[in-house]
Amino acid sequence: MTMEFSEHIKTANVDDVVLKLPLRPALKGTLCVTAHHLVFSERKEEGSYQLLLLLRSVDAIEKRMTGLSGSSGTIVIKCKDLRILQFDIPGMEECLNVASSIEALSSLESVTELYPFFHRPRELSLSEPWGLSSPQQQYAQTERLWDRWRLSKVNRNFSVCMSYPRTVIVPCAIDDITLAKAASFRQGGRFPVLCYYHRSNGMVIMRSSQPMTGANRKRCREDELLLQAAIDESEMGYIIDTRSAQQAQQARMAGGGFESKAFYHHWRRLHRHLERGKVLQESLIKLVEACGDPSQNMDRWLSKLENSKWLSHVHSALSTAGLVAECVERDGHSVLVHGFEGTDTTLLVTSLAQLILDPASRTFRGFLQLLEREWVQAGHPFRQRCAHSAHSHARLRQECPAFLLLLDATWQLGRQFPLALEFSEVLLLRLAQDAYASDYGTFLCSSEQERCALQVKENTHCLFQFLLRREEREKYVNPLYEATDLAIWPSVHPQSLQLWTGLFLRWTEYAQTMDEAREEIWTIVKERKETDRPKGCAHTTLSRHDSFTNVENLMDELTVL
Amino acid sequence: MASASLPAYNPSPLENSSSSQNASRESLKMEPLADVALLPGEERVIDKDLIYMCPFHGALKGKVFITNYRLYFRSTDMESTVTLDVPLGVIGRIEKMGGASSRGENSYGLDITCKDMRNLRFALKQEGHSRRDIFGELFKYAFPLSHGMPLFAFLSQEKFEENGWSVYNSIDEYRRQNLPSEQWRISFINESYELCDTYPVHLVVPYKATDEDLRRVATFRSRGRIPVLSWIHRENQAVITRCSQPLVGMSGKRNKDDERYLDIIREANGTPRLTIYDARPNVNAVANKGCVFCLLEWLLVIPTAVTEATGGGYEGDDAYQNADLVFLDIHNIHVMRESLKKLKDIVYPNVEEAHWLSSLESTHWLEHIKLVLSGAIQIADKVSSGSSVVVHCSDGWDRTAQLTSLAMLMLDSYYRTLRGFQVLLEKEWIGFGHKFTSRIGHGDKNHADQDRSPIFLQFVDCVWQMTKQFPTAFEFNERCLVTILDHLYSCRFGTFLYNCESVRDSNKVRSKTVSLWSLINSDKAAYVNPFYTSDCSRVLYPVASMRHLELWVNYYIRWNPRIRHQQSPVEQRYKELLALRDQYLKKLEELQLSDSTPSSARLTNSSTPNAPLPNQHLTHLQTPF
Repeated sequence: MTMEFSEHIKTANVDDVVLKLPLRPALKGTLCVTAHHLVFSERKEEGSYQLLLLLRSVDAIEKRMTGLSGSSGTIVIKCKDLRILQFDIPGMEECLNVASSIEALSSLESVTELYPFFHRPRELSLSEPWGLSSPQQQYAQTERLWDRWRLSKVNRNFSVCMSYPRTVIVPCAIDDITLAKAASFRQGGRFPVLCYYHRSNGMVIMRSSQPMTGANRKRCREDELLLQAAIDESEMGYIIDTRSAQQAQQARMAGGGFESKAFYHHWRRLHRHLERGKVLQESLIKLVEACGDPSQNMDRWLSKLENSKWLSHVHSALSTAGLVAECVERDGHSVLVHGFEGTDTTLLVTSLAQLILDPASRTFRGFLQLLEREWVQAGHPFRQRCAHSAHSHARLRQECPAFLLLLDATWQLGRQFPLALEFSEVLLLRLAQDAYASDYGTFLCSSEQERCALQVKENTHCLFQFLLRREEREKYVNPLYEATDLAIWPSVHPQSLQLWTGLFLRWTEYAQTMDEAREEIWTIVKERKETDRPKGCAHTTLSRHDSFTNVENLMDELTVL
Repeated sequence: MASASLPAYNPSPLENSSSSQNASRESLKMEPLADVALLPGEERVIDKDLIYMCPFHGALKGKVFITNYRLYFRSTDMESTVTLDVPLGVIGRIEKMGGASSRGENSYGLDITCKDMRNLRFALKQEGHSRRDIFGELFKYAFPLSHGMPLFAFLSQEKFEENGWSVYNSIDEYRRQNLPSEQWRISFINESYELCDTYPVHLVVPYKATDEDLRRVATFRSRGRIPVLSWIHRENQAVITRCSQPLVGMSGKRNKDDERYLDIIREANGTPRLTIYDARPNVNAVANKGCVFCLLEWLLVIPTAVTEATGGGYEGDDAYQNADLVFLDIHNIHVMRESLKKLKDIVYPNVEEAHWLSSLESTHWLEHIKLVLSGAIQIADKVSSGSSVVVHCSDGWDRTAQLTSLAMLMLDSYYRTLRGFQVLLEKEWIGFGHKFTSRIGHGDKNHADQDRSPIFLQFVDCVWQMTKQFPTAFEFNERCLVTILDHLYSCRFGTFLYNCESVRDSNKVRSKTVSLWSLINSDKAAYVNPFYTSDCSRVLYPVASMRHLELWVNYYIRWNPRIRHQQSPVEQRYKELLALRDQYLKKLEELQLSDSTPSSARLTNSSTPNAPLPNQHLTHLQTPF
């Protein structure tokens, strides 16, 4: 342990601490503060309970003195995964020491001090690959892209766009010099790049940030050329702006703006207003407040749920993504998506549209690749957005649950199409947790550039690689998955969207019974496999192989199912 | 500015799913009713060309066929075919819309209100009293009892493999519960419905209570509905008993026999305190809070009872010293009727989308569901902790039936099987006299009857909520519940006809009609939950918090073609595979046997039911009717 950490730990161990967890009887044991964890061990000979809590996952901490003349204290820890724990600690000084350690160690500023840089499980090696795929691989695998799209390394030093990866896919007709000029016309240098190619009709989805037209309606020939090169002369493209028309107008006053019809002849602009930033964060806070309301009187639950507006944000996200997918698949147009910075709602919409359209992104690996491409590599600022979740009393800075909203919308898709996704809710819950606090480096930092500078890939393990390991993967697979090539069009009517109870009411009894049910379903599927397999083996000597293979195939399908 | 030529995202490619777009022109030329199989005993009454004012697809020209069982409509539109297949029993009200002189297109016709959350409007030509005959015939056949005609169940000639009437036999069910026992006996005192005309013939009562005791208790219980056992806990011998309210009246009358009788029930398993659950809102709370509904309820209860010379009420502390009285705050049939009406208003024909959740909240439907479920949870919890309970409301056939049957579903995994659920309905609802005729209004034109109320629907909703929370604990599936509700109204089966066993007997329902369970049990595979885990025998406590209840969209909003039915594809796929697997395994076994020994006697004897082909499932999974 380095010096900095130990400075924060004045009391490392406290005995006779009482831990109160939701839905569990109180436990008595020893609480230990380490550089990155709170460790609680129940004092019992056998089957004792152990809690290992990553300090990074602490969202807020409340302390109060109890007992006679404040002889003991209580610490309430509200976690970013919405769990609430309570420790009763004997001794005022110990209590205060523990609390201040937690406060300091849960909000370490330097990325390289965070736990992923120290997490060294025996079964993983740092030499294993980090990440699942790169733009190069994506490009190499999509042969049909080649005649019209090329890989560009214009950003190899992150000098054109700080938040883009080193390589991006752009139209062949546009050279790097033009790209660099177009980039200077887009906020943060995020010039239009390809993010999805629709095989059935060759249409694409691109994303960018807003053009910096400003109050004087500046134009940029290179940006116009870039967009023109993305479609044929005869075609019409759509720009889905995730702001309202009014917001887009107002953005001009701050130097931003939108693509004017006069200069982008072959592009039509549609505005779909998605909330962002603070509004989303406050919506999450309201929702979590309503979910945690301990009062038995739930008369107003549905009103509270409605007032939080969370479900209407889910609605906007899904219906805008639906619109994009509709443009691409039903009407055969290419689409450019952007809002302001192009790092939040833009990614939300492009990734959901891909889930709707692309069967490959609905597989376990494909979904993780989608997240890697559209969120990690595309520069969603995880570090700022996920600094705190719904409990923190800290003044809101740049927190925004855009990624959580993506996971929620994905859950709604899974609920409406129970066979279509290869992964289950458990994976979404795991990702929701790891985006805020993790043992792995995947969600650290806000861009590839930052990751390189801090050598994240050299010094942490990759969550996605870990999840795809055989023994992990099994926990997250949807037993009912059945691949379909069709687009899955979600219903976005309010009565079709449900609160994601698995996440927001996760620490209640309900979630536990659902977990049990999930296990039972797995057991049914597995038992069938096990009881039937030996029978199958006994028959291998049989001459009638055709019938046997039929059964084999069927068993495999049942197992997947 | 922004171009809006591209339509807003339309998430409903299935919008026209009910209309088979690809119905060939060939088939349209055919006699439209030719492809609808009439039920045996079903006869055509009248045909008519008219316009169906479909709330989802607009005005559709077509032809309607009325039989003595159903209203069938088929559009003659070339582009898409819309059909309606509505059992007449579902119709609650038929009204003439517009007059001979009314103006406006399609303003003259019929307006039909259905009991299953939809309305139908048909427009006819204005000249020549064109609706007179169809209105007359429809009115007659939709409300046969009001016209001195029999219900269709008595005309049906349907035959099924299984006989549903053999599902339930009260003695067998009591035996299953290890009754009679040392403490409980089966009494035949009600063999000819003399003690209580709304009770079944066989009653389980305390061994220590004589028939004379029972008669005396009956005088003190509304309509003679004395406390009788309906479920006993195998291990701790705690019981659920059910009854009507005691007739204590305004003056707080007491009855020693009733008091002693309840104490005998308490003693039977040595329960120190007997808990009496009164499903109604607390009368004291009523006085304090001035809650209008509660006040109304008690004002209604007492005067009605007064007309029978004695007033109703509840068991006072003084009189029943070893008993605790708990009020469960569930409102009466009138409140529930109004609540469902409000729900229908926000879901049919169009869903109130702008403020969906607060509109839903304002119907209070889920809140009522919550109260019923949490009442049942309290009862189940009390019983599993070893205390016997008495459950009643006013008459003991509405809220009482909801509470006892839900508590039993939580306590006894047998009732969670397909057959056990049928037994539960037969016992707690049909046997103990839930007034189906009055609550549903079978064959009766009096649509405004204050006795109608969706009590049974509310119960089925509670069951559905439980199946949602425990997806592997119930052998029956959602389709089974919807089918039960469909035939609650259809009058095709005798199961839900009449108010009580005595009337069912005098109308010879069992010999003259077919049971709904015949239909279901002859095609079990369609009603079974593939994820059912039979070893889940523990007590199930659902979470009755509002946060965990959802609206049963697949039922209440099912007529809206935009609502996607979500559960079925999973189950369907899974069943198809299981069926295929069974087939293959059977084939394998055959092959194996034919390889080893020529005789295949074992195989032919172990007659596994023929696994249905997957495409058969496909056809089965279409909406009933």
